[in-house]
Amino acid sequence: MFDLKKYRKKSPWILHYNAGSCNGCDIEILASLSPKYDLERFGVINTGNPKQSDIFLVTGPVTYRSRERLVELYTQMPEPKVVIAVGSCTCTGGVFRDMYNVEDGIDRYIPVDVYIAGCAASPELIIDGIVKALEILEQKSKEMEKPHKLFREATSEGGIVNRRHSALKVGEIDEEN
Amino acid sequence: MKKTINIPLGSQHISLLEPVRFKFECENEKIISVDSDVGFVHRGIERACTTKFKFDAIGYVVARVCGLCAITHSLSYTAAIEKLLGGEITKKAKYLRILLLELDRVHSHMLCLSHTCENAGFEAMFMRIMGDRELVMEIQELLTGNRVQFDYINIGGVNRDISSEVAQKIVNNLYEVKQRVLGYMDEFTNNWSLSLKFKTIGALSLDDAYRLNAIGPLARASGLNIDVRNEIGYLPFSEVGFVMQTHSEGDINARNIVRLNEILNSILMCENILSGLPEGEIFTKLKGKPNGEAVVRFEAPRGELMYYVKGNGSAMLDRVRIKTPTFASIPAFSHIFVGENYADAPAILASFDPCLSCTAK
Amino acid sequence: MKKIKVSLESVRDEIKSFYDYKQWHLLTLNGLALAENKMEVQWIFSKYEAMDEIVVYYTEIENTETIPSIVDMIPSAIISQREIVDMFGVKVDGSEKGLYLDEDSMQRPLSGCSI
Ligand code: SF4
Repeated sequence: MFDLKKYRKKSPWILHYNAGSCNGCDIEILASLSPKYDLERFGVINTGNPKQSDIFLVTGPVTYRSRERLVELYTQMPEPKVVIAVGSCTCTGGVFRDMYNVEDGIDRYIPVDVYIAGCAASPELIIDGIVKALEILEQKSKEMEKPHKLFREATSEGGIVNRRHSALKVGEIDEEN
Repeated sequence: MKKTINIPLGSQHISLLEPVRFKFECENEKIISVDSDVGFVHRGIERACTTKFKFDAIGYVVARVCGLCAITHSLSYTAAIEKLLGGEITKKAKYLRILLLELDRVHSHMLCLSHTCENAGFEAMFMRIMGDRELVMEIQELLTGNRVQFDYINIGGVNRDISSEVAQKIVNNLYEVKQRVLGYMDEFTNNWSLSLKFKTIGALSLDDAYRLNAIGPLARASGLNIDVRNEIGYLPFSEVGFVMQTHSEGDINARNIVRLNEILNSILMCENILSGLPEGEIFTKLKGKPNGEAVVRFEAPRGELMYYVKGNGSAMLDRVRIKTPTFASIPAFSHIFVGENYADAPAILASFDPCLSCTAK
Repeated sequence: MKKIKVSLESVRDEIKSFYDYKQWHLLTLNGLALAENKMEVQWIFSKYEAMDEIVVYYTEIENTETIPSIVDMIPSAIISQREIVDMFGVKVDGSEKGLYLDEDSMQRPLSGCSI
C-alpha cells in the first residue's frame, strides 16, 4: 500500500502566501525555485492549493485584511504541516513594526516552526530553512504515528516541542497554581 | 435564458504573487464585469513617513514599499529631498544611479515576461527566463551588496563605489543577457502556440489608453508616447542613449515586445554608462532641512511613479504622497478584462505586471 | 510646478475647461492636513511629452465638506478619490469607504487629528 510518510519526505509541497510583504522575499522564493538555486531538487513544488501542501511559506508582517486568509489557509492544510516565516518583517514586523495597519509578525496568529531572517532573505537562506523544515516535517509525521496519550512522556524528542506537549504544559501550570 | 456566474480570483491563487482579489462576473466564458479589491497589502507607510522616521531615513523605508522597484522609490524620494535642499550631486553619482535603475528594469521586466509565460502555460520558458535573470541579480549583488533591497541611494549620492573588476563583470554578464534576450525575441514573435495565447488577447486601444490615463509599458504598447525618462531633466537619460519603445497593437504580445525592446535599450544604456563613466566623488554632503514642497516623477519598470514631499524645515516631514504606477492603472486593468475569456484572465493579469504592494503601500 | 487656487464649487468647471485628454493626464489626487479640521485637496496633472510640466489645482476645505467627483471627466480618478476618503475621512461624491481600511484599523490615519 501507499507509504505516505515516504512520499511526504521525498516530495513536500509548498504553499506560499503573501501577507503584506514588499515582494522582495516573494521574488527571492521564486528565484530559489528557478534553475540556479533549484529548490525543486528536493522534490519541492509550489502549489496553490492548501489542501495538498505540507510546507507553508509566509512572507509579510500580516496586514489587517490578510489575517483571516492566513489563518484560513493554515487551518485548511492537513497535518503534519510546517510553517516557515520568510524575511525579517515576517518574523518580527521589521521596518513595518508599529505601523497602524500591521500586526508585528505572523506568530501572533499561527505557530511558526522556522524563522528565516534577512531583508530580503537570500535564496541560500531560504533553501537552508526549507531543509530544516523537512527535518521538522519528518519528526512531526513520526509523532503523528504514535498512539495518543493523555499524559506527557518524560523525554521531549530532539528539542522539538510538540504542540500536544505544549498544550499539556499549560494544563500542568494550572494544576500547580 | 440569460445567466451570469461569479468567479473569484484570489486573494490566494497560484498565478498570483501577491494578494489581490478579483471578482469576475461571467456569462459563459466571457467576462462582463470586474470588481477588484486591492487593499490586502495596506501597511500605512505614508503615515509612518511623517510620524515615525526622520527625513534622512525615509529613503530606506520607502524602498520597502515594493521590492521590485525599490530603487525607483528611494531614488524618487531622494530626488525630491535633494530638490528641497537645493544641492547638486556629482556626475558620477548620477550615472551610477541610472546604471542601477536600468539594471533593476531589466530584471523586473524579465520577471514579468517569465511570469506571463507561466500563466499562459509555458512552464519551460518561465524556467529559462528565471535562470537567465540570475545573471542580472548577480551583478546587482556585486554592485550594491544585496540582491533585492539595495539601499544603494543616499541623499547626496550613492553608498558604494564601483571598481573596474565589477564594471568588467557587468559588461560581460550584460553581453550574455543580451544574447539570451535576442533569443526570447525570436520565441515571442515566432512561436505559434504562444501567439495563440498572446496575440489579440487583452487589447487596449490608443484612445482608451488616453482616456483611462494608462501609463508605462501598458500605454506604450498601445502607442501612447509616455515615458517619464523623456520628460525629466534631473538625470541625463538622453545622454546615455535612451530611446522610447512603443508598439501599436496594444495586446499582450505588444506588451511583451515593448518589454523586450526596453530590456535591450536598458542594456545599451548600461554599456554606454560603463564605457564613459566620469571620474570623481560619489557622495556630496548636503546640509540643511527640507522646506517647501516638491513633486518628482520617475519611470519605474511599471510606469510613472510620483512623489510629493512637503517639508517644514524640521527633521520630520509634513507629507509624503506616493503615487505608484499600478495604482493609477487599475481603472485601465478593469476596462481591459471586460469582454475577454475567463481562461485568459491570469495571463492578461500577469501581462499588466501588477504590483499590489506598491498599490496599497 | 504651477499651483492654481480654486474654490470648491468651481473646481469641476475649472478642470473641465482645462483638461484635454490627449494632452494632460491626471497624476493623482492628494490631500494635505492643515489643521485639526482643515485640509488641502490637490488635483495634480502633468503634460504628455513635455519637460516636467506639472499643474496643481488646489483648494482648502473643512473636513465636513463634500468634494465633488471628477470621475465622469477622468475615469481614472476613481481610485484616488476612494483613497482620499479612507485616508482623510472626508466625503467625495460617489466614492465609498473601504479601499484599504477595515473596521478595526485606525480611521482617518492622515488627517490632522488622530482617531
Ligand atoms: S523582509 Fe524586507 S524584503 Fe522581505 S518582504 Fe519584508 S520588507 Fe520586503
